[in-house]
Amino acid sequence: MSSTRHDTLTTQHGHSAEIPPSQVIPHLLQELGDHHEFNIAFTTVDVLPVILYDGGKWYFYRNVSTMEHEGYYRLQKGHIVRSSDGTSPTLDLSVTNVVVYEWIGMLIVLALFWWSGRRYRQRPLAPPRGLQNVLESLVVYVRDEIVRPNLRSERLVRQFMPYFVGLFFFILVLNLMGLLPGMHTATGSIGTTAALAITAFLVINGLAIREIGIKGWLHHLLGGAPVYLAPIMVPIEILGLFTKPFALTVRLFANMSAGHIILLSLIGLIFYFRSIFVAPMSVGFSIFIYMLETLVCFLQTYIFTVLTAVFTGLALGDHVHDNCEQHAA
Amino acid sequence: MDGYGLAWLAAGIGCGITVLGVGNGIGRLAAAALEAGARQPEAAGDVRTTMIIGAALIEGVALFALVVCIFLALKG
Repeated sequence: MSSTRHDTLTTQHGHSAEIPPSQVIPHLLQELGDHHEFNIAFTTVDVLPVILYDGGKWYFYRNVSTMEHEGYYRLQKGHIVRSSDGTSPTLDLSVTNVVVYEWIGMLIVLALFWWSGRRYRQRPLAPPRGLQNVLESLVVYVRDEIVRPNLRSERLVRQFMPYFVGLFFFILVLNLMGLLPGMHTATGSIGTTAALAITAFLVINGLAIREIGIKGWLHHLLGGAPVYLAPIMVPIEILGLFTKPFALTVRLFANMSAGHIILLSLIGLIFYFRSIFVAPMSVGFSIFIYMLETLVCFLQTYIFTVLTAVFTGLALGDHVHDNCEQHAA
Repeated sequence: MDGYGLAWLAAGIGCGITVLGVGNGIGRLAAAALEAGARQPEAAGDVRTTMIIGAALIEGVALFALVVCIFLALKG
């Protein structure tokens, strides 16, 4: 069983004897996604706890090897399955690689803002400098360019700035962490982006219901059309409620994974042709794509935040402030 | 040609058609935004924001198609 868990592609340098060619891309996609070992700095550490809920009982294991040693469950193609019949357990709530990287991202964001907030408290009148200046200008940008034009009411802006700033910096840190060698992109896993989009869904609809009432929210399901068009408009609008977060999920996930897949393909050309003359072209294009990915990291962070703000503004409609004629799209 | 071959062929062709459509869409959007910005430079900031949102929405549709293509390609 240990041979499937072993990271053959990164340890074998060129001759991937254990993986048939048709399985290389699925294997790489699986490596890019979530798995049960903690990968950091090119090493795999088997320290992540396994938490399973199966058949009405909870199972806790210290790590995957302990779980396989006990014998009730085993790892098959990166998924935990029952040893007896190879089916998956009811619920797998294990702490996985991506979860640990999310925690690291949260710690980085907390540390940055704790540090810069302390600077403000120590010397409130001194002009910000260095990293503090970067953070302040980004926060002001999020407030003035993203939140304020969309929420349109100073009370709501004050209330929801923490959410949007948190969203912005959390996604930015996770995206940029994926560009460091030996790290992992947590936003390149669909679970992370889905969770972010679910919070966005709750904020969009929760805020709309709180501000304009359930009646106003239901009225927005008409999309501004007369009542007799309800049989057509209501299903479309209800579908629209769910496609927005789904598009947010897939957009961030696909943009973050696509760059990695292109990088892997370019580097993979060297191993495919087994020639040193391909290497300069591969490395040159990789550096270009790497620069592009740095841009995409910032752009996708901006787009996720701004679309959440835009959808929130559209769900509120023109009820909060009267200088805008947009309705729920 | 077996089913897997057909699936891979469908994924490749679908990907190409998706990119055609999206390239056309975002190209038109950028052209219109540039023109608007050139005609009225003081509105360029607003136009750019709206353009990025529009581009993101077009890209979202493309990503739905690409997800279908990836599912087809991973059939093998």
